[in-house]
Amino acid sequence: MLEVNRLRKVYDDASRTVEAIRDLSFGVGQGELVCIVGPSGAGKTTLLKCIAGLLAPTSGDVVLEGLPVTSPPPAMAVVFQEYGRSLFPWMTVHDNVLLPLKQKKMTAARRQELVRDALSAVDLNGVDGAYPWQLSGGMQQRVAIARAVAYEPHVLLMDEPFAAVDAQTRADLEDLIRVLWRRLRVTVLFVTHDIDESVYLGQRVLVMSHAPTVIMEDVTIDLPDERTQLETRSMARFGELRKHIYSQIQLAKQGWRPPSK
Amino acid sequence: MSNLMPPSRRVAVVLALPVTLIAAWWITSADSQSFYFPPLQTILQTFAKLWFSPQALQNVVPSLVRFSIGYLAAALLGIGIGIPVGASRNLRNVLEPVLEFLRAIPPPVLVPVLILFAGIGDEMKTLVIVFGCIWPVLLNAVAGVCALDDVLAEVVRSYRIGRLARLWHFVLPGASPQIFTGLRQSLSIGIILMVVSEMFAASDGIGFALVQYQRTFAIPEMWSGIILLGIIGIVLSQIFRAIEAWLLGWYHGLRQSQRAN
Repeated sequence: MLEVNRLRKVYDDASRTVEAIRDLSFGVGQGELVCIVGPSGAGKTTLLKCIAGLLAPTSGDVVLEGLPVTSPPPAMAVVFQEYGRSLFPWMTVHDNVLLPLKQKKMTAARRQELVRDALSAVDLNGVDGAYPWQLSGGMQQRVAIARAVAYEPHVLLMDEPFAAVDAQTRADLEDLIRVLWRRLRVTVLFVTHDIDESVYLGQRVLVMSHAPTVIMEDVTIDLPDERTQLETRSMARFGELRKHIYSQIQLAKQGWRPPSK
Repeated sequence: MSNLMPPSRRVAVVLALPVTLIAAWWITSADSQSFYFPPLQTILQTFAKLWFSPQALQNVVPSLVRFSIGYLAAALLGIGIGIPVGASRNLRNVLEPVLEFLRAIPPPVLVPVLILFAGIGDEMKTLVIVFGCIWPVLLNAVAGVCALDDVLAEVVRSYRIGRLARLWHFVLPGASPQIFTGLRQSLSIGIILMVVSEMFAASDGIGFALVQYQRTFAIPEMWSGIILLGIIGIVLSQIFRAIEAWLLGWYHGLRQSQRAN
């Protein structure tokens, strides 16, 4: 349903040329939850912006449901890393979730229903009238997730969404993503620098190299679908996968990359 | 800190100095024989007689009407021009030197020039106010639009929020704290120009009345007019503060929550 074909991105400005992504190709199937993990500075955000239609690739393309992505597609929603900057501080929680829906053709009652359902899906009840800055970081990111969910996307892109919240909130939010993914049957592409998080969340993990980025390995996460922080993370298989990906990342940091095809 | 004070105490703190100054003026001028510095009692009696009479409206109303039209026109023009200029780097580069030059011209010198083609009527006086008030609003609107958050801009793009909704729900509120800074500066400029423009060539207005009193040596009347201007300034700035508190409540809350962290 989502295809990335030979994607290349070179930042070219007056002073210098930086090749952020060299050659990336991968596909994400309908309803899959795929994590992208890589060392910092691997061009993860660049890749995500290219997929989201926010940034034009230098060459190659992104195809969503058969159509090339040239601008942000209507079937896609993005959750950004900086929750503190991705919500409108002059709008209440309710209005933040509602605003994107006003662009869609539907009745006002339907919009209200979507907002209500999305907020209760992320366990935020009774804060409709609050402003984002009145909430904790974890709750703000829940609002951003609710906004994405209410938009009814086919693909949900998440750019290190939990990098800035504390560890316990983070575990709760990870479980929330698993629950939402299974309930809504939405395709999720989740970018992170946290290896444990990628293994815990994903069905597949794409390991990225250092910039200029290529894919080091496409790892299938053969853990059971029912995952809990306590049990899943203490499984032997979890440890093996984690160790494997960790060693790949170490290789990536040393500059090793797979032989080009 | 001041928020924790009981209201009665806060009122006392606010009023302490004004009351002291008025009392000092009252006492020191009580048996003044000076023609130019009459007793405050005389001034206040004149004030009551002069400015609470129906014919006072003949001077006060035209002044306030010209001020209101000029100030609101400057606000609308400043925001209306400032937003597209702030949004376009090219436009900014072309216009900035010209704007800086125009802003540097002291508006009162335009009075003789404007008399030539706008006559000595309301149009001239209103234009002087517009010309003086527009720059702080315009330049602050430009700066406000330039400083809009990139992450929010990406949110707006990725949710395909249309032009009008973008302007209304993102650009205007995002730039509004800066725009209000400009509006506040313009408020005092507008009051000054309201009076100054009436001192040159006029048949009514508070400025006109002041000059008349001075030329006819109606000294208590002159002083009472100055007090009236002070009171008008205070009332206008209180109205302004109330509107600002209403529209920028979110901003003050946001700032407070950022300081708390």
